Amino acid sequence: MEVTLLVHATDQAFEIIENARRQAVELLNSTVGLAAEEQRWLEEKRIRALFTGAQAVKTRRLNFLGTFFILFFVWCILSGHFDAFHLSLGVICCGLVAHMSHDLLFANVRFVDMRTIAKRFIAYIPWLLEQIVLANIHVAGLALNPKMPIDPKIIRFKTKLESDVSWVTLANSITLTPGTITVDIKEGEFFVHALSKKVARDLLSGEMEDRVAHIYMEADHIYIQDVLDMAHIYGLFRGIGG
Amino acid sequence: MTRATDDVIIKTVSRIFTPFIQIFALYVIMHGHHSPGGGFQGGVILGASFILLVITQGLDRTRRRFSQKLGTIFCSIGLLIYSGIGILCLILGGNYLDYGKLNKILPVIAAEARSLGILGIEIGVGIGVMAVMYSIFSDIVTGGE
Amino acid sequence: MEKFFLGIGIGLCFLVLLCLYRGIFGPTVLNRLAGISAIGTKTLVILLLMGFIYDRVDMFMDISMVYAILNFIGTLAVAKYLETKGEV
Repeated sequence: MEVTLLVHATDQAFEIIENARRQAVELLNSTVGLAAEEQRWLEEKRIRALFTGAQAVKTRRLNFLGTFFILFFVWCILSGHFDAFHLSLGVICCGLVAHMSHDLLFANVRFVDMRTIAKRFIAYIPWLLEQIVLANIHVAGLALNPKMPIDPKIIRFKTKLESDVSWVTLANSITLTPGTITVDIKEGEFFVHALSKKVARDLLSGEMEDRVAHIYMEADHIYIQDVLDMAHIYGLFRGIGG
Repeated sequence: MTRATDDVIIKTVSRIFTPFIQIFALYVIMHGHHSPGGGFQGGVILGASFILLVITQGLDRTRRRFSQKLGTIFCSIGLLIYSGIGILCLILGGNYLDYGKLNKILPVIAAEARSLGILGIEIGVGIGVMAVMYSIFSDIVTGGE
Repeated sequence: MEKFFLGIGIGLCFLVLLCLYRGIFGPTVLNRLAGISAIGTKTLVILLLMGFIYDRVDMFMDISMVYAILNFIGTLAVAKYLETKGEV
């Protein structure tokens, strides 16, 4: 009899906890809904502002400031002296260069996702280094082999990337990995000279292209990683809800 | 040689690389007393950055950025800064380019005045060399028009 | 450590001589251009190694960066000149 009572009491306790949890999840969902709406509205406003003419001045100013800070960072690395004289010289020089060439560095960039692109670019570099080391070992094996089993071909493939910066990133990555060299890019079609069948197969599998598209957020596929990056609020709250 | 390249890689890389070349050139000019460099070397690198713009983006777009009239003006300004500092030292009662006398108008001691004077004429030389390199290159490449 | 860098530097100088073969005997001008550009890359590394040997890395770093920039611009200019079939 005590056991039945105990079981009944535990049941009721679980019901109360379940109700409380449901109410908490509803509350959190409503706040998330408000926050996401506000985010979306700010995003839309920023994108709309980028295309109107009056905001061209703001884009120019942002270009100038971005170039100025990057150049000042480079100046501080180059010049080891951090006293007032050299730093003021640095400010004047960086201001001059940023005034002359700010539209060269940031020609056609979308500011809404500059930070994500920078983060993803820095995360891409170790993978590229690993690929370079692996391809290096393979090509060294090919060159030192007395028979030298190379099979040089020029491969053409159409790429799904859109902007010129992503084309250049992909072309430079292909040229940096030993065994493949980008010969030409004509209207979105890459001409790549590959040394052996293995490197050609690695190239045509498309993993490098996928990763470069992931940096600049450009491909047609929807990556789960993209959704999780952009909506990390959702991820956090969904975890509590279960 | 004055048409733009039609190669995406060269155009993009040169466009992104130019501000860094220019800031490196200014670093070389300003730190002439600490590391190898000085006015002439920095001016050459600055001029080379404009030549890079000419051969990758075409002469017309670079002329919009840095016209021939501006090149001539900068030549003269470079020489003016150099001779101006020399004559200023003459006016203040020393020899030509005797920077020690600059401490009469700047609130520094004589040794620092010499250092600042040398920095001043290096800047003048740098500007002049850049303008002359760009002018000579654009003259040769257009056949003297 | 100095002996190690010295050894690497001498090895690189030998490789420069190999590239010089292509620079002298290349059948076309473009071969010579590619050879000289490769020599430029190796010169960069030799300069840095000299910086390590003489224990003044910062000075030689500046010099090698200047040479890298000028090598890049020079190769581009010569290639552009040859693309327009020798017309300026």
